[in-house]
Parts: sequence; C-alpha cells; structure tokens
Amino acid sequence: MSNQPLVLGIETSCDETAVGIVRGRTLLANVIASSVEEHARFGGVVPEIASRAHLESLVPVLQSALEQANVSLRDLDAIAVTGGPGLIGALLVGVASASGLAIGLDKPFYAVNHLAAHVSVDLLTHSLPIEPAIALLVSGGHSSLLQVNDITQDVIKLGESMDDAAGEAFDKIARVMGLGFPGGPALDHESLTGNPNAIDFPRGLTQSSDWLSRPFDFSFSGLKTAVARYLESTPNYKRADVAASFQESIVDVLLLKALAACKKTGIDTLVIAGGVAANSRLRSLAQQRCEVAKLRLRIPASGLCTDNGAMVAALGSAMAAAGRAPSKIDVAATSNLPVTTVQI
Amino acid sequence: MGWFSTVTISLAIDTSTSRTTAGIIEDGALLWHGFRDGSTSHGEALPALVKQALNLQPEIDQVVVGMGPGPYTGLRVGIAFARSLALARGIPVIGICSLDAIAAKVVEVDSFLVATDARRKEVYWAKYQGGIRVAGPGVEFPLELSKVGLPIYGEGAVKYGIGENDEIAYPDLLSLVSLSQNLENHLSEPLYLRRPDALPTSERTK
Ligand SMILES: [Zn+2]
Repeated sequence: MSNQPLVLGIETSCDETAVGIVRGRTLLANVIASSVEEHARFGGVVPEIASRAHLESLVPVLQSALEQANVSLRDLDAIAVTGGPGLIGALLVGVASASGLAIGLDKPFYAVNHLAAHVSVDLLTHSLPIEPAIALLVSGGHSSLLQVNDITQDVIKLGESMDDAAGEAFDKIARVMGLGFPGGPALDHESLTGNPNAIDFPRGLTQSSDWLSRPFDFSFSGLKTAVARYLESTPNYKRADVAASFQESIVDVLLLKALAACKKTGIDTLVIAGGVAANSRLRSLAQQRCEVAKLRLRIPASGLCTDNGAMVAALGSAMAAAGRAPSKIDVAATSNLPVTTVQI
Repeated sequence: MGWFSTVTISLAIDTSTSRTTAGIIEDGALLWHGFRDGSTSHGEALPALVKQALNLQPEIDQVVVGMGPGPYTGLRVGIAFARSLALARGIPVIGICSLDAIAAKVVEVDSFLVATDARRKEVYWAKYQGGIRVAGPGVEFPLELSKVGLPIYGEGAVKYGIGENDEIAYPDLLSLVSLSQNLENHLSEPLYLRRPDALPTSERTK
C-alpha cells in the first residue's frame, strides 16, 4: 500500500480551484474552492474573475489538501495538473503552480487531459480496471461518448454534442425558468415532484436517418428552443413538469446513445462521468437500462463527478503506475486539447 | 566554509512584460540570468528558464517576483509559479512592483516616468523623482503621458513611440532583489489596476 505512488493533482480549468491527493487508487484528500458565486450574477463563468480567484485560492487549497491527507510536499512522488481543455488563463495558473512545485521538489510532472481525468476518477470508486469501457462524459462544457481502451493513453471519440453541452442546456433552461445558476442541481431538484411524461419534448438526433449518419452525436439546441417556446405559449405551466420532462428528454437521449455504443463495440462496461453524472434521474435510469442490457455500470462516487483535483491525481497516478514518461516541464497549456490527447 | 554564511541567494522572476525573465542573484551580484520574449509564452518560458537557473545554483534562500502591473495572464504565471516553488522549498516569496525594477535602472535623469504595455492601446505607468515613486502605478493613454513632458522609459514607451531610451525597457532582476531588502516595497497581491471584464464565456463564444 505505502509503496504505491503518492500523487497530487491540481485542477483549474474553469471556476473551481481544486487540489486532490491520492496514494495509488486511494483518495486521501479532495479540496475545492469555487468562485461560482462571483459568476452567478453574470449568468456564466467570467474568465478573468475565475483566473484571479485561482491565483488567490491555490496556495490555501493546496495547504488544506496536504493537511487533510496528512502528508507533506516532500512525501509526494509526482505532481499532476490539468493541461487542457479549459479557459486558457485559468489553466495557466494551475500549470504554472504545478511546474513550480515539480521543479521545487524535483519530482516528475504530468500535464493531463481534463476529460480523461473525469473518466479516470472512477478508479478511486471501483476496484476493477476501467478498460475497455464506453464512457459517457457529460458536464457543463462537454457531452462526449468515448471508447476507452487505455485511460493512460488510448481514448477514442465516438461522438459529441453538435451544439450545447448537456450541462449547458440544463443551465440555460434553468435560467429561462428562473431557477438560477448553476442550473443542473436546481433543475434536478425541481423535477423530483414533476411528471417526466407530462410534455413530449424532442429527442435530438434520434431520427432513423440520424442513427445512420450521427449515431453517437448529440444535439440539444432543438430541445432548448422547444422548452422556451412551450414556456412562452403556456402561461400557467407547471414548473416541476417542465423540469422533469426536459430532464427526461436529455437523459433518455444520452442513455440511448451510450447503450447503442456499447452494443456496437461489444464493450460491456459503461462509465458515466462529469458533472451531469450527479443528476439523480440519469443515475437511476442508467441503472435500470444497464441491468436490462446486462452492462456493468460505473459511476464515480457523487462528489467526484464535478470538477475536482482528485480526478487529476487519479489519472497522474494511473500514468505513474503504467510507467508513462512524465510531461516536459515547459508544456503549453492547451485550451482546446482534444480528448484523444490524454497527456501533453 | 568554517563559518555561517549570511549571503542571501535569490531566484528573481518577472513576467509582467512581454519578456519572461529569471535569474539568480547572490550577494548583490547577478550570477545567471536568462529571458525569452513573447507576450503569450510566459507559461512555457518560465519553467524552462528557472530549471536552467537551478541547475547552476540549486540552493536558494528566497524567491523575488514582479507583481506587475502587467497583462494579467502572463503576470499570474510568474506569481503562481513563484509561490508554489517557494512553498516546495519552504522559503519566502517576496513580491515587488515591476515598474520600480525598471525605474531603478534610470540614472541619467532625476524626474521621469516609466510605462509598460497594458494592451488596448494603454500603458501602465508610474512617476519617479529622486529615486522614489511619487505617483502611480496607474493606467493611461500614451498620449496623455507624453503631455507630462518628462522622459519616459519602459516597454510601453518604446512600443508607443513616446520614450527615448529603449535599453531600459524591462524590469531589472538585480534591482528587483535590491528593492526586496526594504519591507515597505513588499507586495502580497498582484497589481491588476483594472477590474475584470465581466463577460461570461457563454456570451463570448456565441
Ligand atoms: Zn469538467
């Protein structure tokens, strides 16, 4: 146990300043400071506000993570950091901090992909290897369907959203309904008392021609328009029903495509990762459908689904364990890093 | 050596201008320094430079870093890096106004201005007299500064054609360290001088 690598992970790709510490596949610390409240009044993440908050919070967050894990910096075997994708100014604070630590401690440094890190955090929750797996990655920034052959180096993109990310659609609808920002949790809560079949909202890219041309891609803009139109034309709408029906439409499409990807590839493990994986309806419907389809479903522990440092540490740890070469100390943070590039 | 040395070895860093610069200062002398120019490459340049510096002198007692004012993204790279390196080594990190480290190199006149590029056709500036800062730091249009009628030094003066000496354009590392010897010069937070642009990403990408 103690001969497994002690890895610290730093995540600053959006509005969360986060540091996690793992030993092998055991979570030791997970500390997050969020600037979400500062962004709320703008209805979205303001890059400059996020970057300033990262610089302010990083050292305190780092110190409390070390305290939580009861280790000192000198005990660390490697430093991992999100190298992309994300907001460039925000990423740079994390990468500069990580390279400062790595140089100061003379320890290896891994600059990793945020999206792969979302998937790899499941290593801290479930004990079997992840691979091979189909990963449904759903968050405020991304909706992708991935084939994971080796989480440390071989991830294939099967499909992605053509427009909004799933979490973004949640945020926008929540805003239209006056539920606030971020919208995901608020909408999830609202829909608990609603009827998911009350309104038949459209399911994007599920026509028979879509299944031929774009089987694993998503589109949520039509749904967004449909909900907005419904709210306009129905003055006395039931908020809980709209929330539940909207959520059902998104969740249904996500799972239809994820299960189709499992069937097509013959892979019998489905990982659901990213902030939207915390959605209660997605979790329960995934469980039902995977049971019927005899698929193994893996969802990281709630609390590890949204952006955090533990996921970065988990991927760094997996890379160290697999003997992957560290990143160069002068890597360039990359805002549009493709999911297929697991390490830079 | 048979006695306790009181010589301080500093790692000095500045990323407040388009030049990323790092060096080792030992007992008031510049042991090594390096720089790389490029207004968007601080993140890649700085770790490479510092690694070179520490290869030459692995033992350092403190980190001194320019706190701007300067374009935010690059400025933060230097400060974030300096803080975490100092934390890793268990040594202090001291922040200094970057404009002061340009002004310290000016010897030919008594009263003058320093200006660096603030983007958006503006400059960061400060006024010096008899070796001390008497006004600023602030943000201003280059034309307004030139109306003051004093010589202007620094990258901003060069870029907007309002300066006379383009050899004193960037913060000087030796000056950064000597300024750090006075507690009154210490800064713990970056000099942003402007409020953040409040436009969320969702509005920008559309
Ligand atoms: Zn994320």
